Amino acid sequence: MFQQRVLIVGGGLAGLAASMKLAELGVQTSVMSLTPVKRSHSVCAQGGINSVNELTRQEGDSEWLHLDDTVYGGDFLQHQPPVKEMVDWGPRIIDLMDRLGVPFNRTPEGFRDQRRFGGTLHKRTAFAGATTGQQLLYALDEQVRRWQSAGRIAMVEGWDFLGPILDDQGRCRGAVAQNLITMEIRPFPADVVVLATGGCGLIFGRSTMSMASTGSAASRAVQAGARYANGEFIQVHPTAIPGADKLRLMSESARGEGGRVWVPRTPQDPRPPRDIPENERYYFLEERYPTYGNLVPRDIATREIFDICVNDGLSVDPEKPCVYLDLTHIPRDELDRKLGGILRIYEKFQGVDPREVPMKIFPAVHYSMGGLWVDYERSASGGLAKGSPKTHQTNIPGLYAIGECDYHYHGANRLGANSLLSCIFSGLFVAPGIQSMLGSLSDSASDAKYDPLMQSAQADHQKSHDKWLQRDIGGDNPYLIHLELGQIMTSAATVVRHNRTITEAIEKVNELAERAKKCSLSDRGNWTNQNVIFTKALIDMFPLAKAILHGALARDECRGAHYKPEFDMPGIESDDPAERHRQAEEWCTKFEEKNKKWLKTTIAVLDGKGEPSLGYEEVDISLIPPRPRLYGLVGAEIIEEVWKEQHAH
Amino acid sequence: MNQPTVSFLARHEFLIRRLHSLTGIVPIGVFLCIHLAVNASVIEDVTAFQKAVYQIHSLGGLLPFVEWALIFLPILFHGILGVLILLGGSSNTGDYPYAENYRYLLQRATGLIAGLFILWHVFHMHGWFHFRWWIDGIAAPLGGALFRPFHAASTAGAALQNGYVTTLYLIGILASVFHLANGLWTAGITWGIWTSPNAQKKIWRFCAAFGIILAAIGTSALFGMRHAGKSETFETIQGIENRMYEIRVELGDIRSSEDKRS
Amino acid sequence: MTTSGKPASFEVRILRQDAPGEPSRWERFRVPYETDMNVISVLQKIAANPRTIDGRDVAPVAWESNCLEEVCGACTMVINGRVRQACSALVDQLLADRPGEIELRPMSKFPVYRDLVVDRQRLFRSLVRVRAWLPIDDYSDRGPGPRQSQAEQEQAYPLTECMSCGCCLEACPQFQKVDLSEYGEGTSDEQRNAAFDRSFLGAHAISQAMLFNGHPIGKTSAAERLDALMAEGGIQVCGNAQNCVAVCPKEIPLTTSIARAGRATTIHTIKKFFDH
Repeated sequence: MFQQRVLIVGGGLAGLAASMKLAELGVQTSVMSLTPVKRSHSVCAQGGINSVNELTRQEGDSEWLHLDDTVYGGDFLQHQPPVKEMVDWGPRIIDLMDRLGVPFNRTPEGFRDQRRFGGTLHKRTAFAGATTGQQLLYALDEQVRRWQSAGRIAMVEGWDFLGPILDDQGRCRGAVAQNLITMEIRPFPADVVVLATGGCGLIFGRSTMSMASTGSAASRAVQAGARYANGEFIQVHPTAIPGADKLRLMSESARGEGGRVWVPRTPQDPRPPRDIPENERYYFLEERYPTYGNLVPRDIATREIFDICVNDGLSVDPEKPCVYLDLTHIPRDELDRKLGGILRIYEKFQGVDPREVPMKIFPAVHYSMGGLWVDYERSASGGLAKGSPKTHQTNIPGLYAIGECDYHYHGANRLGANSLLSCIFSGLFVAPGIQSMLGSLSDSASDAKYDPLMQSAQADHQKSHDKWLQRDIGGDNPYLIHLELGQIMTSAATVVRHNRTITEAIEKVNELAERAKKCSLSDRGNWTNQNVIFTKALIDMFPLAKAILHGALARDECRGAHYKPEFDMPGIESDDPAERHRQAEEWCTKFEEKNKKWLKTTIAVLDGKGEPSLGYEEVDISLIPPRPRLYGLVGAEIIEEVWKEQHAH
Repeated sequence: MNQPTVSFLARHEFLIRRLHSLTGIVPIGVFLCIHLAVNASVIEDVTAFQKAVYQIHSLGGLLPFVEWALIFLPILFHGILGVLILLGGSSNTGDYPYAENYRYLLQRATGLIAGLFILWHVFHMHGWFHFRWWIDGIAAPLGGALFRPFHAASTAGAALQNGYVTTLYLIGILASVFHLANGLWTAGITWGIWTSPNAQKKIWRFCAAFGIILAAIGTSALFGMRHAGKSETFETIQGIENRMYEIRVELGDIRSSEDKRS
Repeated sequence: MTTSGKPASFEVRILRQDAPGEPSRWERFRVPYETDMNVISVLQKIAANPRTIDGRDVAPVAWESNCLEEVCGACTMVINGRVRQACSALVDQLLADRPGEIELRPMSKFPVYRDLVVDRQRLFRSLVRVRAWLPIDDYSDRGPGPRQSQAEQEQAYPLTECMSCGCCLEACPQFQKVDLSEYGEGTSDEQRNAAFDRSFLGAHAISQAMLFNGHPIGKTSAAERLDALMAEGGIQVCGNAQNCVAVCPKEIPLTTSIARAGRATTIHTIKKFFDH
């Protein structure tokens, strides 16, 4: 009998959910991770996890409305069947995590408590203090440790995924990886490889993401022929704490609990913030969005804060762009009770008490909606077919992707507290499909006949590694190249995008990529050489950086997080009712034309030279037809009215 | 598993450590309290102290067994294991200068001092063993076995006339008292009696008060005894002790004994 | 807090070691001062320009890090003599406490791989020893978990914040480094785990055992965890120095967990004695 094995790469929520489910199904599983899995980036998630619950149901909420909020918030760019399946699973996932011991906050009677997040009217978000991601990850980590001690899961911690191993037919038969301590390079035969390697924030230099979120694993799959979808959709979180090494997240819940965003009306007013009288403060979100106030959706809040600093020159700090996020009007004990965790982070890292002094915050790259293209099989009811081996498989047979590194669920913009759900869901859901995929195979990658394939893959990677170590000194410094890449990407491809800057950025990135290939190492030893590991990851940031830039350049529209002022559709300014109606009709027609052209998944593949070429694919919008996304737009009412008239059949 | 290679100590580490904790309080801690209190009675009245000694010695031939079972063996066990525990730790008050960490260090230091002191103290007063040949041939010539039960206060006092000896006794008593008071506090955590930081803080104050009182009693005992042994009081006290002895012999409470040497 | 007179640069002294078994040495670097620096950004600066104070080009310093916001536990090291996370160690505060110089050392209770990178596998092995998980039947849909009061959640929550960083172990005078050198080059996992299993669990694992023993589902396997706490290297090794709770970056009530474990094992021992 041959022994089949699944290799999961990445030990965050998605990877661990998949491995524990596979272990339960009796599948031998290995989990490969750069860090001990308990240190994965999922721990950084703060706010909570969304699902319909008994309480919201009584307000009329349903899975369907959760689906609607998610696709509306995502500007309809995501395929709807996977989202439908995910929101249907939501309540079950929260229940499961509850059984696994996640210390969800409780009501006085002992039920799970919920809070409200952006983009919805319902209190769908279950939370465990301000460290929900950490708590969810630990619960899964514990289960994986349980299976590990039972011999069902093998941990491969401290290894860097170098690339998939493909056989002559282009099927994935395992992966090559490198040990971060010993620098050993070796093949890991596997019948299915699942990438659960998270986002690619480090391409933007500093972001809210962790040091392991380089995107290099996804890039290595793309370089092996995998397709990369919707790369240009990068979520920039409106509120982060600027830092020299990282931009630390300041959760949306700070505004949810009454936090107000403002700047002094006098540019760079030198007075301490509390000495600035009310009438000299500009609460720009509240003034510009009277209905939503400080709780406008993320992409809009981000653009406004960016605008006030960059275009209006009203940054509160002359040296760096930032605005005040003010909680000082809320009583101390209330703050400690509701926001203690995140306020302690601010205090610890800024050395300033945010209960006394307004926080200084600025937007930061936060999440990648796009990722590896993966397939799915639709069920008759509009969700996903159970146990289908197609679902979450990339275009490379045997190579799967789940979690942030795939492109499903969030479309053009992710709603807060939906990512934890999508990660756990995709991990749990993919397991039976992988099991049936294994069942359809007639052999195992550990069979002797694959030994030559394994050896040659290992030899290739070893050769290129050895070459790096033999590099001459005196070339470019990889750390400085990374700095430059981050600056280029942040200025060209984050909050506001202009075709001219993107075109320039592409040129600069191309040139930087060439320089990166020739950079030299300051450490040429072969033991715990972080210099060479980082440099290899840096090299692999470029294909994704290029895919992001090309995708952004080509997409001449505004959609979710992708905002090009040149293609913005302004609201209705006229006061005359007839004219308003006419303009709204025009607006709706333009909107439909735009969707016809751009309601498509961007798909990047690398050509022979490693340059991305783009293609487009239809989006499955069979469940909820697209409609205009009108948060805060002037004349939203008339547009909505006209839209309803036109679509009332 | 590799059960056979695991030592007895390792296999029963938990019970042995708990026994270590228990013996520190019962009987050793209790004994220390009684011992210091009885000895302190010398301040008030020499006869009271001598009476207590008679009471103890009324056990007669049983006394050595009782002493070994309830005092010496527990102390030896507590002490030897204490040394093993001490070797298993490495203090770091330099980098982590917290009160509890200093107490951890002090607990080990005072334990070591108390252990050495007790060894010497028992030799100094009792000569370790009661065999005649040992006492006469080895212990006495080495300056040990100075205590005479029928002349309790006077002989003990005489043995404490040297200032260095008194200082060593003072150090030994204070170390023992700290070790007991702090050990009481840690034992409460070990056995899970006081669990929260608040409770532990409260109990620490209680233990500290207990330690201060016991230290006062111990110091009184030491200096009271020393006073009893001073040349100006020595004769008087010996007279009292002689009278008490004679009365008891007459009453038949005790038999005339060779131990009655002065 | 920072003073108005900020230095133009400051010195960083790092205890370096090339590989296990190699001798360690101090190397000094001069780093230009910037506002808002933490020890991570200092190490990043040195990595980008690894030249010592006496002008020698050296290999960049190796260190571990990931989240940089003190929730992953990776960047734990000894900074100015005290174990903590490099990410939350702010340069301004360090220089205020000890002007002119910052000293970095790897944790001393774990074997060094290289420079500031140490092998903390033992820490995770301890979690296996105390069975730090809930033994639920399966991952199918069986409705919600047991209802819990706010008080129960508030007692459990601080314990669940443990990020396995190892601060409590580094500062513990009873937690000693396990020497694996007797096994030579190719120490097998079994040998290593056997050595770990004889050594002290440490505060973090004791606290995790109490976390799960306090959970309605975890209670069903409480006896197994208590047996683990009473095995060799168990709770009895604790010497009540209470450094663990003083250095814990998450302010987890570790000593309360230890005392509660003491109580539970007391009762467990008595029960076992009379019930078997």
